[in-house]
Amino acid sequence: MTRTIHLSLDINGERRELDVEPRVTLLDALRDHLALTGTKKGCDQGQCGACTCHVDDKRVLSCLTLAAQVEGRQVTTIEGLADENGVLHAVQSAFIEHDAFQCGYCTPGQIMSAVACIREGHAGSDAEIREYMSGNLCRCGAYNNIVVAVREAAKAVSAPARMVEVA
Amino acid sequence: MRDFSYLRAASTEEASQAAREAGAMLLAGGTTLLDLAKCGVAEPDTVIDITHLSGLGGIAVDANGAMIGALAKMGEVADDPLIKAAFPAVAESLSLAASQQLRNMATIGGNLLQRTRCTYFRDPAVFPACNKRNPGSGCSAMGGVTRNHAVLGTSEACIASNPGDLALALVAFDAVIETGSRKVAADDFFLLPGHTPEKETVLQPGEIITGISIPASAAAKNSTYLKVRDRQSYEFAAASAAVGLEFEMDGKTVRDIRVALGGVATKPWRARAVEKALIGKVLDLVAIEKATKLAMEGAVSHGDNHYKIDLAPRVIARAIMKVATSNVAPSNVGGLA
Amino acid sequence: MTIMEPRKHGDASDGMIGGRQSRFEGSLKVTGAATYALEYPAENLAHAILVQATIPAGKVVSVDKAAALAAPGVLMILTPEDDFGMTVATDWGGNRPDNQPYYPLPRDVKYNGEPIVAVVAESREQAFEAAKLICIRYEAAPHVASIADPKAGEGQVMDNLTTKWGDAEAAFAAAPVKIEGEYRTPREYHVAMEPHGLTAKWDGNELTIWEPSQWSHGMARTYSEWFNIPYEDVRLISPFIGGGFGSKGGALAHGAVAAFASRKLGRPIRLALTRPQNFTNYGGRAATYQSIKLGATEDGILQSIIHRGASETSTYATWPEQTGAATPILYKVENFSSQHRVVPVNSVTPGALRGPGKNPSSFGIESAMEELAYKLNMDPLDIRLKNYNDFDRQSNKPWSTRRLREALTEGAEAFGWSKRSHAPRSMREGKTLIGWGIGCGTFPVIQAPSEAMIRILGNGRVEVVSGAIDMGQGTYTILAQTAADVFGIPVDQVEVHLGDSRLPGAAIAGGSMLAGSILGAVHKAATAARDELIGLALSDAKSPLRDTGANTLAFAGGRITPPRGEGPSLTLPELMAALGREQLETTRNTLPDGASAEEQRQAWTTMAKVQGPTMGEFSMHSWCAHFAEVRVDEDFGTVRVSRMVSAFDCGRLYNPRLVESQWRGGIIMGIGQALLEEGLVDLRNGRTVNGNAGDYLVPTNSDIPDIQTISVGVPDYNASALGGKGVGEVGIVGVAASIANAVYHATGKRVRDLPITLEKLI
Repeated sequence: MTRTIHLSLDINGERRELDVEPRVTLLDALRDHLALTGTKKGCDQGQCGACTCHVDDKRVLSCLTLAAQVEGRQVTTIEGLADENGVLHAVQSAFIEHDAFQCGYCTPGQIMSAVACIREGHAGSDAEIREYMSGNLCRCGAYNNIVVAVREAAKAVSAPARMVEVA
Repeated sequence: MRDFSYLRAASTEEASQAAREAGAMLLAGGTTLLDLAKCGVAEPDTVIDITHLSGLGGIAVDANGAMIGALAKMGEVADDPLIKAAFPAVAESLSLAASQQLRNMATIGGNLLQRTRCTYFRDPAVFPACNKRNPGSGCSAMGGVTRNHAVLGTSEACIASNPGDLALALVAFDAVIETGSRKVAADDFFLLPGHTPEKETVLQPGEIITGISIPASAAAKNSTYLKVRDRQSYEFAAASAAVGLEFEMDGKTVRDIRVALGGVATKPWRARAVEKALIGKVLDLVAIEKATKLAMEGAVSHGDNHYKIDLAPRVIARAIMKVATSNVAPSNVGGLA
Repeated sequence: MTIMEPRKHGDASDGMIGGRQSRFEGSLKVTGAATYALEYPAENLAHAILVQATIPAGKVVSVDKAAALAAPGVLMILTPEDDFGMTVATDWGGNRPDNQPYYPLPRDVKYNGEPIVAVVAESREQAFEAAKLICIRYEAAPHVASIADPKAGEGQVMDNLTTKWGDAEAAFAAAPVKIEGEYRTPREYHVAMEPHGLTAKWDGNELTIWEPSQWSHGMARTYSEWFNIPYEDVRLISPFIGGGFGSKGGALAHGAVAAFASRKLGRPIRLALTRPQNFTNYGGRAATYQSIKLGATEDGILQSIIHRGASETSTYATWPEQTGAATPILYKVENFSSQHRVVPVNSVTPGALRGPGKNPSSFGIESAMEELAYKLNMDPLDIRLKNYNDFDRQSNKPWSTRRLREALTEGAEAFGWSKRSHAPRSMREGKTLIGWGIGCGTFPVIQAPSEAMIRILGNGRVEVVSGAIDMGQGTYTILAQTAADVFGIPVDQVEVHLGDSRLPGAAIAGGSMLAGSILGAVHKAATAARDELIGLALSDAKSPLRDTGANTLAFAGGRITPPRGEGPSLTLPELMAALGREQLETTRNTLPDGASAEEQRQAWTTMAKVQGPTMGEFSMHSWCAHFAEVRVDEDFGTVRVSRMVSAFDCGRLYNPRLVESQWRGGIIMGIGQALLEEGLVDLRNGRTVNGNAGDYLVPTNSDIPDIQTISVGVPDYNASALGGKGVGEVGIVGVAASIANAVYHATGKRVRDLPITLEKLI
């Protein structure tokens, strides 16, 4: 028999209540139950990275995460990346600036992955960026520009920190 | 996925108790269970989420070795500086596995229990016959597309390869898998398929991996993990090797060597014949080539996967050369530079 | 769909045609606000999933659906026994049989994976689980699994793909230097990141479809014909498409199932194919083989080319993957013979995938040319220049533009080709063998008509309205640039509405034909709108520009002024206000004047008006030359591409930034084709066993080096109104050969069957 459970999730800093079957993944909960369709379904089996979002600031695949598992955790999706005034995150701007996408379908996953990649300290060289962005497939073939965008965004993200150190 | 009930376990005991029920399955990182549930391979009635349990995480490293909690994430362990220093092969095996997203999800305990990537195992609708899924139903892989199947440790019932990376490093360095009730050597933890390919480890119903201990050793400290695959990243191994090496004081005679193989065998494969052939010997290219061939004794190919028999010894050889020359002056190692 | 607030980049000239304007819809895509087909909410939505045949050939004897019907949430189950009441629609060739019933869930099984049953439930999960309870009994029939199946046979000759001139056999026999090889390419798949799927909804007799589409008008027509409803009663909405690469040009069986189920149930239906179903529900590139014989003089002048090729097709339709498509035009040769066969097998009908025909064709001829070069001990660059083709001997027409020589020489210069060491295995670093190779590519200029509307609003904003689509090629951006150019306004004053069959018709986004076509229409409509505005400004009593004595007006820098700058200068909103106009709307198409309504409909919804590359005075094609460097691990046989330089002649580039991205995309797909991609078929049951994104390998970021692209093209106004030639398809053509050639140079091993996997090199 189909049963539903009540979940109270913290998504992009907002509390969201929903009733879903226990088997519903975080990805389907976002897209089908919470109208947050920015997170994409590319393969639904952990093979493409399009569904990447952050749970407690770590990048994960929402297609292999149950919605029920993230109760009590902080979920961030592409919709929660720009600031409250709509000012884009440095990675988002860099993706536009360096044409790091074409069709745009893998893009939210790429961007969520890139934000985490920089935060993890895995954007130290182009080779490292390539390896640590390899969990996000892009069939349009924007890889060169993704590497440039991540590299440039990493500089932009770390710039204020350096200024503080100097001061 | 089948409709299941979700239980968030409050304690390891509760989880263990619940997991003993028929149809119950433990959920840690979820990267194997949910994937297989979507394929229709895993059909749990109850999913017991253990990711919120305390006391099962953490990484501790001291002079005696490492203790890694079962719920430590693959990515956490891969990036741990102490693990990197004392067990490079362990860290490398993890960072070369899957993708960073999956490594952030998958736990160390769960990783040891990942199932084979045999495409026949993963497609029950089209290939009902699979001795792993449905004991006695036959093996669809034999006679099919076998490029990724095992050449070592196969049986008439199953040729599915074990997909693990970390598991090789654990087997190579005599790690011990700890459950609530016992400690099992990593090499004994995994089972050959034999007539019962459905049984992949010694775990009993309700038995939960709590942690893994890896004894420190000179060989583990001077170790590497080499993974060869079609794609540069985000793929399982065509062949891989975890290798550790310790020389005698002369810097060229092998005191201790550890070799484990992946991508080619039905379980994480300790190549003891290779180790035995090299211990006490002066390491040179001829000795390495002769010894690594021993790894393939008894190998059986099934057409498409024949290349693994040629490839695997080369992977071991390269890994041995890497650790032989890594922190020893090349002049000390005859013919390896 | 309205696109607002594009991000400006660089100076104002970036917004003009030919400028490097950043992607117009970029901010929507980086924020997750771009809405793809399955992301439109619908009230009372139900979900359908497909159950596929698990045998390759035979008949469905019975479907036991009782258990599934009793499962939670299940609303309806469709089987071959249902009366769909649908009729077969027009095919690609424009043919439609009279009143032939269409069964999207057929009783006759023609391939493993064919949809047989559909389950509709309240949720996708419920439908999925219920589907497992369906029990289908089959009566199996003998099958042919693939072109590699010994039962496949030689297939049928395609007479329309047979080409010859001179006496190729005699010239080959007489040639002092000969090479001969057989080249194979496997089944390859699109793997667009957005899986296929749709939402279908009926309002009375009107059908709305949200589905990714490379051709909104063509697909709307198919739906209308399936259901025998007026074309106007179907609306297909597709403003964003998550990649198509040829797979989203036509409506498919799953669309028919969803639309039918929606009508029968009286609720909107969403049907999303799973990733594995994306490998079986529509065809990728067919597997091919081709034998090539080249005869040449001792000094490397080609005397003869003999080509014999074949490709897989299905048992129920003929789709040739034309292995002889590039062979006749790349090199000058006086004796030529080519033939292509199709071999029916039990697979879904193959389809168009990036660079159809030209792609495998180029792999053959470009590999063979380097084999000849090595046999002659000649530099592979020299042999290509020596046999440079001066005109199209197949059509006997001159080229419109062909700057392949420049592509070869400028590409070679940028790559550093002159530093090459000729002998195979002569470049290495330790265990790593290094090799260089060249592969040339070409793709025809295909022309089609389009229509566009320009709407100037009272607030000065200019709208471009078209049913054309953007799947990442940059339609939004280049249309905005075109309008901005004509009106002398910044691109952020332009809005672009695309991807809706209710909007003016456009060519399919396929065969690289859309940009040249739709830009022609937009430019024509915008120019007409501007002329109308000028007329009003110079004649309307309320216009401040009336008495300036000018006979035309200049549009530049956001202002409208008399040509010599005398008199008042107005912005667009100021002029519209002065004229008292709230909007001014102009529609133009590129059909001959006086085309009837029926001709117009036919133009947007069929291939009837599509023109091939040699239908006019010239032979028109895009051209390219790829230079690849590979690194091969001597022990492991693993190949990595370490460097790539590609030079292109695609005529005028409307937006070089976006063009470079598309070229790189093609090249990357070519790297995948060369090294990774292969649909593996189980001969026992015809199943593609690696049909998922983990087992069918496409390149990751780590597999791809920096790729340098060079444009050597000049505007070609025979090819299109604004001088561009096709961009999207040609990028992949020749890449696989350049890599195979580089692998030979590195290792001394010639791999003639793709992909070049490690077991072929150890």
